[in-house]
Amino acid sequence: MGMAEEIIAEPNFEKLCSKIIDSDNQIRFAAFVNDKSKILHSAQRDNLDSLLADHEVGMSIHYTLERWRKAQNFTFRLGKERLTFTEYDHVTLVTIPFKGKLLLVSTEPRISYDPIIEKVNSILTNWENP
Amino acid sequence: MENGTITYTQLLREDLGIFRVTPDGEVPDFKAGQFLTLGLPLDSKIVNRAYSITSSPQNKNFFEFVIRWVRRPLPGRLTSLLFNSKEGDKISWAKPAGNLTINDTLPNGEKDTRRIVCIGGGTGLAPFVSFAQHLHDTNDKREIVVLHGASYVDELSYKQLLTDLENESLDRGKDKWNFKYRAAISRPQEWTNRSWIGHKGRIEQYLRPTDSGKSALEELVGEKITKENTIFYVCGWQGTIDGTMDYLSNKNFVTEKNKREDGSFEVKFESYG
Repeated sequence: MGMAEEIIAEPNFEKLCSKIIDSDNQIRFAAFVNDKSKILHSAQRDNLDSLLADHEVGMSIHYTLERWRKAQNFTFRLGKERLTFTEYDHVTLVTIPFKGKLLLVSTEPRISYDPIIEKVNSILTNWENP
Repeated sequence: MENGTITYTQLLREDLGIFRVTPDGEVPDFKAGQFLTLGLPLDSKIVNRAYSITSSPQNKNFFEFVIRWVRRPLPGRLTSLLFNSKEGDKISWAKPAGNLTINDTLPNGEKDTRRIVCIGGGTGLAPFVSFAQHLHDTNDKREIVVLHGASYVDELSYKQLLTDLENESLDRGKDKWNFKYRAAISRPQEWTNRSWIGHKGRIEQYLRPTDSGKSALEELVGEKITKENTIFYVCGWQGTIDGTMDYLSNKNFVTEKNKREDGSFEVKFESYG
């Protein structure tokens, strides 16, 4: 088995989370979850208070995955889901499907999202060399 | 095709429902475990699909079904129509058919008194709900174990009915009605399943020997499972069938499809995937 094959087999989620957090100081949190609600890796910006209690984080991931699963029921008509935004008063949640997993990113609310999405997508596009 | 009416719908989840069809005439005779082909109009044609019957053959009022609305990669045509139908809508049906039925006699003609173990994955439980009600309604004395596997707790259709049947067994005594029901949840770590304290993992793991040397099923029934004392009925995805046979093949159990020269077998199954 060659080195390239090993790298392609599984993205390094820890490095990807770290790189996403470092890409913009408006990003609060990044995590990858699989379709069984397992957090593969997560990272949070230093010195930030979490907005959710631990049990609420599980609930939030559950709601996000439920919505993602249901959205996939329209794939045969609308194509693959690429991105969602949910803007709350205190935070904005972004989800991006990636290699069968779901990337969860939270940012400060009411900011200019396009540059952040461009940075995150660039990191994901170049995931083989995070 | 015969005519009937959808007389009851109950959504357990957005994609899982219980449906009843009342024939315009009588409910015909059928065997527990059989399926019925239903038909609804679509684009001036009738779309047909077979669904396992969950009601007992002794129930002459309606057919009942538990149906999953699978939508990936494409939504099923008839199931989509069913999930958009309303109580009172007309529906057509063809006569019951299917071979996943209860074995009552052995190849030598003697009565089959072996323990009945039913393993249903997801809506693969359906024929065994019919089994359980039929065996109850006919006062059958065999020991019956129904094992149901699901990903989420809200997919445990018929949990109340099957729990009630087990409680009745405890109340009346197993010499009169001998019934056990257990469920397993394969995604216990998910938030929806946070309160689940029952078996965790795939349902066929009930057959896997534990450190004690006995399987959870053997612990449940209180004796070693052998091909002389137990017959298995399995329904679900092919993975459930294969997983079950991984354990039973080691004990020299054979399926009806590969029965021995003398006609004996210990496993009947039906796969829907």
